[in-house]
Amino acid sequence: MNMLLELKNVTIPTLDQKCVIVNNISFGVKEGSIHAVIGPNGSGKSTLAYTIMGLDSYRISQGKIYFDGIDITNMSLTERAKLGITLAWQEPARIDGLTVFKYIALGIKDKGNLQEKVKEALRTVNLEPERYYNRIIDETLSGGERKRVELAAAIAMRPKLIILDEPDSGLDMIVIEDFLNIFNKIKALNMTILLITHREDIGMVADYGTLLWRGDALLTDEFPRVMVRYCAKAGLKEFCKRALFKNGGKCFDDEYIDKIFREEGLS
Amino acid sequence: MRSNEYPQEILQSLEDYNIDIKDFIPGHGGGAKLLLNFNKIIGVDQVEGIILKGREIPNGIVADIIIKEGTRHEEPVHLCFGVNKETGTQEIFPRIIAEDNTDVKVQAHCSFPKANGLIHKMFGHFYIGKNCNFNYSETHYHGENSGALVAPVGYMYIGENSVFENNFNLTQGTPGKVKIMIDIYAMQNSIIRSNIKAYGKSKRDSIRIRDSVFLEGENARSVIKMKAAARDGGEVLMYGITEGNAPHCNGHVECSEIVLGKGSICRARPFIRAIDPTSSVSHEASLGRFPQKWLDELMAKGLTEDEATEILIEAMLKE
Repeated sequence: MNMLLELKNVTIPTLDQKCVIVNNISFGVKEGSIHAVIGPNGSGKSTLAYTIMGLDSYRISQGKIYFDGIDITNMSLTERAKLGITLAWQEPARIDGLTVFKYIALGIKDKGNLQEKVKEALRTVNLEPERYYNRIIDETLSGGERKRVELAAAIAMRPKLIILDEPDSGLDMIVIEDFLNIFNKIKALNMTILLITHREDIGMVADYGTLLWRGDALLTDEFPRVMVRYCAKAGLKEFCKRALFKNGGKCFDDEYIDKIFREEGLS
Repeated sequence: MRSNEYPQEILQSLEDYNIDIKDFIPGHGGGAKLLLNFNKIIGVDQVEGIILKGREIPNGIVADIIIKEGTRHEEPVHLCFGVNKETGTQEIFPRIIAEDNTDVKVQAHCSFPKANGLIHKMFGHFYIGKNCNFNYSETHYHGENSGALVAPVGYMYIGENSVFENNFNLTQGTPGKVKIMIDIYAMQNSIIRSNIKAYGKSKRDSIRIRDSVFLEGENARSVIKMKAAARDGGEVLMYGITEGNAPHCNGHVECSEIVLGKGSICRARPFIRAIDPTSSVSHEASLGRFPQKWLDELMAKGLTEDEATEILIEAMLKE
């Protein structure tokens, strides 16, 4: 698989340039994969997501970002979106007066057969088009519904890369299961996902991962291996042995987990 | 009235407000209608329980609209005050009386597609009786040349236990010079909702709107919502006024205004007053630009900042 997104020695300071949030990190995201960036609260995950998307308040002080072989370091948010990057927000806004249809249609480049494209996007996120098509994006939509509409809008753009910023926040367990299925549907549509999360159960849907720890990218590897390292950094051996299952099977035997914990100086 | 007599250019702008043109044409649909071309009455449809009478005067018309006691109609009364020429003066004196226990909607449309020095004035008097449900919506289209001077004045008395909803919409085309003054007097247990929307698009556009509610009856309630945008030198000034003059009355004024481009000005002046210790009146106002996060969300879908702002203005003024 080719690298769709590459970060090379990227440092992201605070807006006043006085502190560093993300420190000299490098990793790549393979085309067609689900790649999770995992780490505790405050490790710089969302900052990284907004920087890759190109938000004005999040600019790098050193390093380069490449997307599909193109240097996008100095590109604007709109230019990056037009190139095929989008972001589904952790807490998407509610905009009175805008219908679900109009919102999803905004990012669709080819306006032919628009209604069917919007309906298809709604079906992908398991929302019935007839019920949601003309709804207004206001407080009458629940948090989960609003997140699905956001995902539908991202999918409808048919981007090459969707950044999902904490897609699980505020959702109950049953809904989260459904979201994991939706992520696999997105992958099947040949889109790459960069998943920002601090939860191992969400991350386990990913093929690969990067561990972000206090602003440093400690490891990029297959996701379960990244997860073991995360647990070791956090000192959660029992949790690690209990929780790391994929496709119904245990990811690692206890011996491997013990070895990683020893490497971190933990027995 | 024959089809070739319809002032189609006057009616055309209704489509931009998602209003069906057919409803305004006499002989179509079920509602009462009064259709005006400049200062000439060109069509009147009456329905049971609603008296519509117009009289031409040198610079306009006097129109009486009387809704007889107990009348309830789903179909709105359609009023079209159009001028299909560049200049001239049109003065309208509507007197609307809704007798007790009535339930009606009035949809008025003021359309001046070729305005370039045109003057439109209106002096409206509304008397809404007891236990009524009265919905008055007025849409305006002043062409694309900022060439109209429009000055409507409305005095509205809302009787006991009545619900009055006023919707004024000037968001399509270019407004020109607009001065609107509305005074609403709310009696006991009445409910007032007044929604005003306006969009100034160039330095030739100047909009001043004064929307006042006087809560004169015990337990009267009101909400004024004023939304406006000014771009490329346009100017909008909105006065939202509410006085709580009776026991247990409750009023709220809300102003939201967006400014775009150099030289554009939005001003909001809420004026609230409570003279009864059991009354409650509040206001909130926000002026400036949309939250950056909203813009970012739309720009992440490939829109430029200007395109995103335009979408948000459209949404705000549609809401």
